[in-house]
Amino acid sequence: MSRNATEWRRRPTLAPTHYVDPRIYTDRALFEEEREKIFKKVWSVVCHESEAPNAGDYRRCRHMSGKELLVVRGVDMKIRAFYNHCSHRGNLLAMEPSGNARRITCMFHQWSYDTRGNCVAITRQKEGYQDRVSRKDMGLREVRTEVGLGGFVWVNVDDGCGPLEEFVGDSLDYLKEELSAKPLEIISYHKAVVNSNYKLWYDTNSELYHDFLHHHNRKIALIQPGYWDRRVHVHDHGHVSVDSMECRYDAYEGNDGRQRRLGWPGGEVACHKLIDLFPTMTFILRAPAFRLDTMVPLAPDKVAIEFRGFAVKGDSAEDRAARVRDHNSIWGPFGRNLPEDEIAIVGQMMAMKGGDDSAYVLHGREEPSIQNEIGMRHYYGEWSKWMERGASDPFGNRAIAAAE
Amino acid sequence: MTTTGTATREPRGEPTGSGFESLAEREKAVRELVARTCLTMDAYDFAGYLDLCHPDFRYTITTYSPELRKDITWLDHDFAGMETLLEVLPLHASDHFLRLVMSRHLGVYTVAYSENDTRAAVVSGLQVFNTARDGGVTELLAVAKYHDVVALEGGEAKLLVREVRLDTRMLGETGSLIPF
Amino acid sequence: MARTGTQWRTRPNLPLTHYVDPRVYTDRSIFEEEREKILEKTWAIVCHESEAPNAYDFRRCQHMSGKELLVVRGKDMKIRVFYNQCPHRGNVLAYEPSGNARRITCIFHLWSFDTKGNCVEITREKEGFQDRLSRKDVGLREVRSETDMGGFVWVNVDDDCGPLDAFLGDSTEFLRGELTAAPLEIMCYHKAIVPTNYKLWHDTNRDLYHEFLHRQNRLIAMGQPGYLDRRYHLHVHGHVTADPSVNSYENIEKGSGVERRMGWPGGESALHKLCNLFPTVTYNMRPPALRIDTMVPLGPEETIVEFRGLGVKGDSPEERRERLRDYNSFWGPFGRNLPEDFIAIVGQSIGLNHGRGSPYILHGREEETPHSEVCIRHYFAEWSRMMGRTAADPFGELPAVAAE
Ligand code: FES
Ligand SMILES: [Fe+2]
Repeated sequence: MSRNATEWRRRPTLAPTHYVDPRIYTDRALFEEEREKIFKKVWSVVCHESEAPNAGDYRRCRHMSGKELLVVRGVDMKIRAFYNHCSHRGNLLAMEPSGNARRITCMFHQWSYDTRGNCVAITRQKEGYQDRVSRKDMGLREVRTEVGLGGFVWVNVDDGCGPLEEFVGDSLDYLKEELSAKPLEIISYHKAVVNSNYKLWYDTNSELYHDFLHHHNRKIALIQPGYWDRRVHVHDHGHVSVDSMECRYDAYEGNDGRQRRLGWPGGEVACHKLIDLFPTMTFILRAPAFRLDTMVPLAPDKVAIEFRGFAVKGDSAEDRAARVRDHNSIWGPFGRNLPEDEIAIVGQMMAMKGGDDSAYVLHGREEPSIQNEIGMRHYYGEWSKWMERGASDPFGNRAIAAAE
Repeated sequence: MTTTGTATREPRGEPTGSGFESLAEREKAVRELVARTCLTMDAYDFAGYLDLCHPDFRYTITTYSPELRKDITWLDHDFAGMETLLEVLPLHASDHFLRLVMSRHLGVYTVAYSENDTRAAVVSGLQVFNTARDGGVTELLAVAKYHDVVALEGGEAKLLVREVRLDTRMLGETGSLIPF
Repeated sequence: MARTGTQWRTRPNLPLTHYVDPRVYTDRSIFEEEREKILEKTWAIVCHESEAPNAYDFRRCQHMSGKELLVVRGKDMKIRVFYNQCPHRGNVLAYEPSGNARRITCIFHLWSFDTKGNCVEITREKEGFQDRLSRKDVGLREVRSETDMGGFVWVNVDDDCGPLDAFLGDSTEFLRGELTAAPLEIMCYHKAIVPTNYKLWHDTNRDLYHEFLHRQNRLIAMGQPGYLDRRYHLHVHGHVTADPSVNSYENIEKGSGVERRMGWPGGESALHKLCNLFPTVTYNMRPPALRIDTMVPLGPEETIVEFRGLGVKGDSPEERRERLRDYNSFWGPFGRNLPEDFIAIVGQSIGLNHGRGSPYILHGREEETPHSEVCIRHYFAEWSRMMGRTAADPFGELPAVAAE
């Protein structure tokens, strides 16, 4: 039956953990609060160490909190991350996405910094500041950084945060072999600014019920043996992993009968392993291709999503070509899956505008299979902890509806 | 393949080595071929598009990434690969993408013929526009160049190689299931 | 005399009803409040029934409150209107502006709905939801709709609203002949997104004083006998009609061989009838064509204006061509009048400079002619009633005057 306004707003018969209030995707105040309480507090990947392979290489990145960062490989080959922000008058230090510089010189008044963030030159220092300003007080702001778990550059802008290891817990154990057998190397990068909420992208990455949307996935997985045997596992801090299967890429017409034969060191041929890390990241291994999603939420209804593809360092030319092809076939900007996912999350936002009136968004599936929605429930459990708000009643004013 | 680079011989009204009535005819065939690839693709006339392609067709979409400081290839297909890609398109996302109004705007910049007259290297400027189905506002989706090699055989022109060299690297909100 | 800053900011020597504070056109909080108190409470046209002529036709529309709607003609030929939103995870159901579908299937997880809004399929329902969720509880949200006053689809998203009849009162009476003699049919549609406030468009539609702006109107109407004898008529809920004007189209079309000869069933060929309905709808009958304006205000300074041209069902191709030609000559996107009106209201928005520009907007003309601005005063009287604010002093900054 179609529903009138009262029925439409009535809470579903499900437990409050099994749905969320759509305002968590649309409300401006909640978004600002997420930035303060979550993005500025937890670890996330900003790039891969192979994006700055040589001494003096830098990479301009954006942290999920919105902060501009400069990732630099020092002469000691160590990677450090700084605010991409001149100590003098706040100009951006690197305007290029990447480059190589022994000294980072601000174009504005030409203050210079070394790769450890020390200020090494203040133009006409004595003349202007006499003894009132010293170079040693004018270093860059360095942020907590760890390079690991596959060579990723992890950043936390909260100096008081716990260690990365503790945050990741055992969630990546499932990919440990693949992430450590051989070093990774980046082969593809693109980004998209999408008019949607970042959590809708994350939801889509963590629920497999929407395999129905992807013709490609229906063919290679959904109708193949082993698909339904997979389970979704939850880990500390809101992270989730999904069991693997051997996908049948040869069953998709667009692959011209070609199964993915090249595997991944430490992993199985044609395996599909998925790990979602709270609050913005997804690791997906579809051997022989490996993808990482990271996000910079820009507004409640706008998110920049960055997509990276990885290969194995030292690949032969043929292996590399196969990985690039397989990555792009579904995950590049001209791939088969990514645009489909993106129209779905854009569609969600189109309908949710004016969100307080819309229906509850369901995360209610319980089943011993890959289409269990426990992944999203686990995410919103974690979200509620950080935000100190229930995701199904973030403003504490849905109680009346519940009582009805 | 070797091209003469600067060889823009004046049409002289006599038969060519590749079987065209005249140089003018040959030039017309090359320019029309390139234009027709856009017209057919805009119309989702995939059979018509493939008709314009040589059996040894190779299609790539590439770009340079300043983030990674290297070239990236985003699509790479031979004739058969392109054929299946286009064939399967309607099965993706309820053919949502086939309803998009995409229009490819093209300007042929240079045409250079090989010494033996069987190949033409064509460079064109390309803009791809997207027009919303609802209301009809048009936005620029991408700018690129086509680097084409056209095979000239028996008085016919066929597209042998196309590299779509993108300037644009953020392709709308969603990327594109449809090749440019 | 030119004015100093103080003089410029001094309120005009007119009653509070005769001017408005510019912030009613620019202020964000007022806009949000209008959405809640007016746009979500009153009736508006979202499309014409001929836009979904056959069983199972659908039309995607946007309601003035911002809500995405799906107008569907059922197999019983009845038109129903739903939120264009999937109850599962909130995705839009229809991406296309129009189409035909027996079942409306969401692309994301393939839930399906029939044309009455019943959920008829939940993919893998039992496996995921067991008995915790029932199809009958997840129907679409149906909104109050009535197809009336010339076959237009009227929608009110407030389930508790009064009937359309009561809302319109007798305002459309003087068009009843034209709207009932023969069924109408849509012949053209276009929309514009204009950087201005929606009320400025509606003001312009009401206000005939600005006919000075339009060369065409000066030629065909302003000089004609009886032009100044016409009066405005005020109706319930802020609606206004103007006495018909007699137009001599040959004055502009002289020499071109183009004449407006064809009339409209139930109406007279040279009579121009105008009916403005609070808050966003305009009926503009210039035989042989009818134009309907509707609006979706997107923000205080951004508005979608939709224009529909209607002919008569069963027109011969020649008749239709003539109606279309006459419609477009004034009102198409390449017409003579519409672009002129747009530059005026965009100019107003620039002049208002986000509420910091001109101090007061005058609606102060009083005369027994079509140049009286009682038409706009009547609008703002209704606006003030629904908003609980005086349009000339929306923030209650005038204690002294309030006491008057
Ligand atoms: S959002 Fe519509 S079926 Fe899931
Ligand atoms: Fe997906």
